[in-house]
Amino acid sequence: MEEVKNNSGQNLGIAALITAVITFVLAVIPCVGLIAIIPGIIAIVLASVGISQAGRNNSPHGVPVAGLIIAIIASMISLSQIFVAGKIAQKADKWPNNIGNIINDVQNNVTKEIEDANVSIKVESNGNKVEINTSADKKDKEKTLDDLEGGNAQNGDTIQKQDTAKKHVVVRKKK
Amino acid sequence: MTLSRNKILQKNMLLYGRKNSSERILKAGIHNEPYLIINIILAGVIVLIFAYSGFFSPVKDNYPVVCLHEKLTGKPCVSCGLSHSFSLIVRGQVKEAYRWNLYGMQIFLFFAAQLVLRVAFSIFYLKYPVTQKQLIIIDCIGSGIIFLVAFWPFIANIFSTF
Repeated sequence: MEEVKNNSGQNLGIAALITAVITFVLAVIPCVGLIAIIPGIIAIVLASVGISQAGRNNSPHGVPVAGLIIAIIASMISLSQIFVAGKIAQKADKWPNNIGNIINDVQNNVTKEIEDANVSIKVESNGNKVEINTSADKKDKEKTLDDLEGGNAQNGDTIQKQDTAKKHVVVRKKK
Repeated sequence: MTLSRNKILQKNMLLYGRKNSSERILKAGIHNEPYLIINIILAGVIVLIFAYSGFFSPVKDNYPVVCLHEKLTGKPCVSCGLSHSFSLIVRGQVKEAYRWNLYGMQIFLFFAAQLVLRVAFSIFYLKYPVTQKQLIIIDCIGSGIIFLVAFWPFIANIFSTF
């Protein structure tokens, strides 16, 4: 009597193996490797069901096992692609932070240099010329303004009070 | 004398066995041969990849698949421009294809080789049933090596990040 070959779980195994192979190829391509986890999970499910069906009916389970192994490896590669993308994104985040730090450093240095600088203000009004030399320090400027207006200057007053005057402001770096 | 008789017997077995087995497989139907089904479907997938490359134009830039890696990280990945590269290779513009992706040609050759191998191995599988098991082992090892060689830049890219 001829032995009847039971192929239960074989079709699921074939489906799992094909899905797993396609997943494997997709997983190693970085562009689409991130979404390869979806067919990877499908392949694992198909292979698992195939193995259980084959085990129940004592039919050969080589194909679903091969599908399961390839699907697991492919899913792991896909997960590593997600991890790689995460790492690159993290590095990309760090880069602007570094630029921000550099800009802040430059800004602080410039501010520090300006604080040490001398400010020379030339005022021209109806042919009369007045030149005021002061530092960039706020207190010095207030003192100069106070001297200029004969002690009547108040907090918040500026040199621009003389609206008819033509002003030239020159910032010179202290040597 | 005995040796030559054995050789004749072996040859006859191979020939008759081949004929009987090929007929048996075709009569029983391909659905009972997982190896053939896998080969047919993989060949179909490769043909679809080539059809995709031929259908979508690099001039119009109308590719439906975009690089998820670039979208997420903002940086182009090692496989960016692969679709353009494939399309240009299909159209015979190999030099231009290299400009889009440096590894496009070797990946394309992998798929082309796999298409030929699927057909060739299926024919061998049907013609020489005695060597079916060896054929599958050779196919697995050979395809694995070709895959590693073709996709090595992409695989190395994964490890280089760690």
